[in-house]
Amino acid sequence: MKKVACDERPGWRSYAESVGFEFHTFDGEPYWDETGYYQFNLRQIEQDLEQPTEELHQMAVGLVDDIIRDEEKLQQLAIPEKFWDFVASSWRNKAPSLYGRLDLVYDGTGPAKLLELNYDTPTSLFETGFFQWVWLEDQLMRGKVPQGADQFNSLQDQLEAAFANLPLANPLYFASVANSIEDKGTVMYLMDIAKQAGLDSRFIELEQLGEASGQLVDLDGYAIEGLFKLYPWEFMLQEDFASVILSSQTQWLEPGWKMLLSNKGILPLLWQKYQGHPNLLESHFEQPGQSFGAGWVRKPLFSREGANVELVTLGGEKISEPGPYADSPFIRQKLQSLPKFGDSYTMIGSWVVGNSAAGIGIREDNSLITKDSSRFLPHIILD
Amino acid sequence: MKQKVLKRSKKAALVLMVPTATFLMAGCGQEEAVQTAAFETVDQCAAYYNPEQCKADLGQALAMHSQVAPKYTDKAACETDFGVGQCETPAQAAATAGTEQVPQQAQASSGGFFMPMMMGFLAGQMLNRSGSQLKQPVQAQPLYKSRDDNSTFRTASNTPVARGVGPAYVKPSSVQPKPAGVVNRGGFGAQAQKRSSSASTFGG
Repeated sequence: MKKVACDERPGWRSYAESVGFEFHTFDGEPYWDETGYYQFNLRQIEQDLEQPTEELHQMAVGLVDDIIRDEEKLQQLAIPEKFWDFVASSWRNKAPSLYGRLDLVYDGTGPAKLLELNYDTPTSLFETGFFQWVWLEDQLMRGKVPQGADQFNSLQDQLEAAFANLPLANPLYFASVANSIEDKGTVMYLMDIAKQAGLDSRFIELEQLGEASGQLVDLDGYAIEGLFKLYPWEFMLQEDFASVILSSQTQWLEPGWKMLLSNKGILPLLWQKYQGHPNLLESHFEQPGQSFGAGWVRKPLFSREGANVELVTLGGEKISEPGPYADSPFIRQKLQSLPKFGDSYTMIGSWVVGNSAAGIGIREDNSLITKDSSRFLPHIILD
Repeated sequence: MKQKVLKRSKKAALVLMVPTATFLMAGCGQEEAVQTAAFETVDQCAAYYNPEQCKADLGQALAMHSQVAPKYTDKAACETDFGVGQCETPAQAAATAGTEQVPQQAQASSGGFFMPMMMGFLAGQMLNRSGSQLKQPVQAQPLYKSRDDNSTFRTASNTPVARGVGPAYVKPSSVQPKPAGVVNRGGFGAQAQKRSSSASTFGG
């Protein structure tokens, strides 16, 4: 694994905008960054990332059954009691799940370590599945990357197959919050793939979702039988329509049981069951009054994009990211510093579609905490 | 030589996200009543229209049934309006129709609702009497009968369209399928507003 400098494709920004990738630049700073790429060999991809991704996924999914039978665990994950049956029946009815992303620390050697599971509302999907794929094809054509270079990225193929083969409602609605172009971009990409798989995919702003006699309905008042929502379960459970979740005959993507796995509390539960596993970091639920020392990271059960994460380096330096998620319990995770390439700390997002590893996306940040402004860089595989 | 197995997608195409020309349908003017017809079976319909079209119209009506039918959380309330034994759940409707509209998960989940059974269907109508495309075509759709008026076919929003099987004249705007009932909106999204100070995304 190494970082290689590379010429940008001329005019890539206008191309990006022409395919709906409007958030390629974030507050004037690059988000999509093709001034360089990461290079892996096939062994690194297959043995160190692909195989552990599928193993970690199986370990996590294997915990769902333990959790839904255990009130203490449901309480530790701060799942409101009112929704325990909803979560359990979504699991028992095998409600299909589309995708997830594992965030990994990996530097090219040794076991990748799991930082967390983004199993409810993972993004950077378009960047991974489409834009970096096109980047590789373009750069192969221009001779800017070595001939024979490949990429660990079957994301779009696998999503299309999932939309075609899962028992999903049709039409399938897709919702994201009105004022996030990034979330809308992710949802548009999924709608595009769903359409290619033969589904009637329809967008609705999350705020426009309606309720009639307990059923979720669209703008014309039609019952929504299937809804992909790029919006966290833990928010939905607290909002005015929380009861509609229980009454509406809607097939949800991600399904209710995924709220157990997107929760940071899954990390201590994984550690309890698989203590010492090479791909896991020691993690515990935070006890009241517990001290917070060097070499540990503190994360809320519910947060995204690095918000409200704080850590103390082995050298005692305190690093924290502010955010709006301070109202949930916390976990502690042993610090595994992200590897540094040049001036950047690098994290690997490893995708799962169904139960299969489906590719990676790489994020870089100037700090040890990866966040939504962290740059996205493409990668290649070269043996 | 062994074929190299690629680790990337075979293709990555977009169909929706690429810009395409938008066609706008302009339209205004006096609305004209259109001839259509109400039927209970494809055979009845086939006496008036192309049998293939009749099958398609019935199929569309069946598919639309669970979406547009008035919904009741309580079976007794439904039967008050439509008659004892005349109400069903969407799962039952799907089973009757032989479709797989309702996913298994939905069938198994609690908190279901009831709706009247479909009693007939309105044939679709795309053209007006002079043979030109209607601005607002009449969609094929399910028809219902209320408990206290068992001869009249009504749309899901309770518009009477025909007394018995056979031809009917309707204004297209009066038979646009819409569900009955009060719709509440805005019940999701409050947390996003509350927490939007720092976050631009609610994915991750």
